[in-house]
Amino acid sequence: MSVFKLLKPVLVTLFASTMLTACVAPTYVTKGSEFPGMYTEKPKSLLIMPPINLSTAADAKDYYSTTVEMPVAFHGYYTFPYELTAEVLKEQGIYDSELVYDIPLNKFQEYFGADAVLFTKIVKWDTSYAVVASNLTVSIEAEIKSTKTSEVLWSYTGTVVVDLSGNSGGGAGLVGLLANAIVTAINTAAADYTTYAKQANARFIYSVPVGPYHPQYLKDQEVKIIQQQQPKQETN
Amino acid sequence: MKMKLVSLLGFAILLSGCAATEKPMYEYGEYSESFYALKRDAGEENAAKWKSSLETIITKSSEQSLRVPPGVYANLGFIHLKANDNNKAVEYFELEKKIYPEAEVFMNNLIKKANAQG
Repeated sequence: MSVFKLLKPVLVTLFASTMLTACVAPTYVTKGSEFPGMYTEKPKSLLIMPPINLSTAADAKDYYSTTVEMPVAFHGYYTFPYELTAEVLKEQGIYDSELVYDIPLNKFQEYFGADAVLFTKIVKWDTSYAVVASNLTVSIEAEIKSTKTSEVLWSYTGTVVVDLSGNSGGGAGLVGLLANAIVTAINTAAADYTTYAKQANARFIYSVPVGPYHPQYLKDQEVKIIQQQQPKQETN
Repeated sequence: MKMKLVSLLGFAILLSGCAATEKPMYEYGEYSESFYALKRDAGEENAAKWKSSLETIITKSSEQSLRVPPGVYANLGFIHLKANDNNKAVEYFELEKKIYPEAEVFMNNLIKKANAQG
């Protein structure tokens, strides 16, 4: 833990530089122009669906599912209690959100009274190892779909890449190598994935027009966000 | 000179005023941590922690006169429903519905379920 604390500034700097190089010339758009459906339909409640897990980490689905509810609630929406709704969906035979993704969503309005449904997809949740360096990548795609029309009202992708090696250049030597290996082991503990998942969430939730419990409700049409590239291209 | 002092004072009051009114929207306490622990290992100890974290959120929210976050009452109701304490379950589902009208349809379905079970 203390090793991590020591290296935190390094990690943050590296992370920031990765971010800078990743988006060379972002195009800015407004929330209102990008997601007009959110302002015309004005969903008040969001049903968070069990995450669709495309990553190789089998436990990512359970762990990630605990990180979504809070930030969405702070964004002003009524969020149905996930622990409870996931259980009810399971009783209805819905173990996997992929099963319901393409079907009419009005059932969710009938049973839960949900105005809209939030689908999340874990695209990447892994650590890639190179000789010395290793990267942790958490990549999440998310969509809000109307339960009235089943149309997509909002969609976004959030990716967080963290360099775990703590290797800032200089001649590392054997001691350095060993230290790197320890740091990597510490940082790839499951708990840290949720930390970065929360960062990825924060990034995409920022682009959602705020909900009725937020003071800026229906006043944030002009807020600028970075225009998304086609999410499909980022998957690999 | 006097004007300057007055405006400076005014500015200071304005600043402190802003800081004082800044209040968090919700008090979530240990929600995220205990939920995560429950997902890692749904044993008795973590289930008890999950329950007590929900109860603490309610106490702390009322101390700070904040609205209880969405789903907290409903989650507690669900814990009681699973323990066959149906009256208590209904009580919590009603509370969720009372502060969040958005939850009405779902809570009514759960109340029906609890009544059928009792």
